[in-house]
Amino acid sequence: MAEVQQSGGDSGKKGHQKKMQIRVDFTPMVDMNMLLITFFMLCTTMIKSQTLTIALPTNEKVQNEENMSQASADDAITIIIDAKKKPGPTPGTLVIDSVNGNVVNEIYYYDGKPGGDAGMFGPGGTVLSANNNLKKSDLLSDEVNSVGDHKARGIRQIIQERNKAVLEKVNELKKQLNDGKFGSLETKDDREKAMAKYNEEASKVRKDENIKKPVIIIKSTPEASYRGLVDILDEMQINSISKYQIDNITDVDLVMLDDYRKHQQ
Amino acid sequence: MGRVKIARKSTFIDMTAMSDVTVLLLTFFMLTSTFLSKEPATVITPASVSTEKVQETNVLQVLVSPKGQVWLTMNNDTSAQWSNANMRKALLENMTALYNEQHKNNPVSFTPAQKETFSKLGAFGVPMAQMGEFLSLADEPEGLTKMDEWLAGEDPNPKHVSGIPIFKENTEDRPNEFQMWIKAARTAGNENLSQAMKDGMGVAIKADQNTSFEVIHMVMDNLQTIKQNKFTLLTALKAGGE
Repeated sequence: MAEVQQSGGDSGKKGHQKKMQIRVDFTPMVDMNMLLITFFMLCTTMIKSQTLTIALPTNEKVQNEENMSQASADDAITIIIDAKKKPGPTPGTLVIDSVNGNVVNEIYYYDGKPGGDAGMFGPGGTVLSANNNLKKSDLLSDEVNSVGDHKARGIRQIIQERNKAVLEKVNELKKQLNDGKFGSLETKDDREKAMAKYNEEASKVRKDENIKKPVIIIKSTPEASYRGLVDILDEMQINSISKYQIDNITDVDLVMLDDYRKHQQ
Repeated sequence: MGRVKIARKSTFIDMTAMSDVTVLLLTFFMLTSTFLSKEPATVITPASVSTEKVQETNVLQVLVSPKGQVWLTMNNDTSAQWSNANMRKALLENMTALYNEQHKNNPVSFTPAQKETFSKLGAFGVPMAQMGEFLSLADEPEGLTKMDEWLAGEDPNPKHVSGIPIFKENTEDRPNEFQMWIKAARTAGNENLSQAMKDGMGVAIKADQNTSFEVIHMVMDNLQTIKQNKFTLLTALKAGGE
């Protein structure tokens, strides 16, 4: 491992100590270090998880009903997440994405009350298909054109249309932020300060009672995947929706879903 | 005629510099690494645009498997008074009291050794009735492996149930064990944790993206029942973002 070389030879004076050159071979040391590095690299989590905070109403039934009647005004939108199922005589097998192995979710929505003002059921409990106001939508990301402008598609476009008043004000604030009206954006500290100010203003706008904004009720069938729920909650955040709730799916919703599918085939 | 003399050069490469670099890298990784804690179920969290960072301290993590099993993990203060070990002991004692109040006929109790084992656990989640047996495993040879197997559901003994009992039908006056654990954590005496749970940052649900809504709803519903209305969902950052 270590090598001792004698330099010169014996041409020097006698009695003078010979100069020794010591070389240590570090190759095994490097090998070992590399192994340790590999171990640590594989065992660490570099990316920290993110979190999404949600607040739900209490489970007390009375309060829940109050919320419902409040939400069944004109500005209520109900979004229903359902898992895509294979067509055929035995429904129930879920469609699995062949690329990433995920459950495929479908997004439906309706405005106001289920079935409109007339309701879904005729006399004797018959289903009135004509009243079905359920519409299918998709979860799509923005379309970006060559100039770099974003254009919302799918359910995002629908939500944005309803929340136009709030979004306009928020976008205005965003522009002000970029123009430096909330303070300079030079250093990291400044940027954080400006962001905090902006967030405060934006949340004021989102919660402003004087601006017309929708109330979104999120429902999900039992088969739909958790991912769909998080995706929809994301849309709430992206589109500055301040009023939304996660609610239990009702029989009427299921009837509407069934009815919708029947007429699609 | 003299022959051309080819100088014999040594092939020795000086590895000192290389060694320096590797040691530096190694130091970096050692200092920045946080080890993945062992979990009974591997889950891939769904992607979200939320950029809020996860809390490192004072958080009770609810790990949900796609089958509906639930385990808890606790991360606590860095303070000595409420270290992980102290906190867990307090939690277990609190939980035992809550459990025995409801199951007066067959109460559970733990030996100091079992409590000690509990304080060192990572994720935990077996029914209280089996908790004693589970904790005693630590004294056996290869006990830790057996405990991991039990939690992962690979135990050969079919009686060994993994996951905290949690039901769809739940009421406030007859809480199930999952609700009791959450309540026990809330009242274990650590003010910081109680406050974090009140703010909603103290309870985090970690579930796989393909878990059905039915399972997630059951967990949420249980939390709502005990008025833990605010909580967080663990997500991964969506590539591309907004």
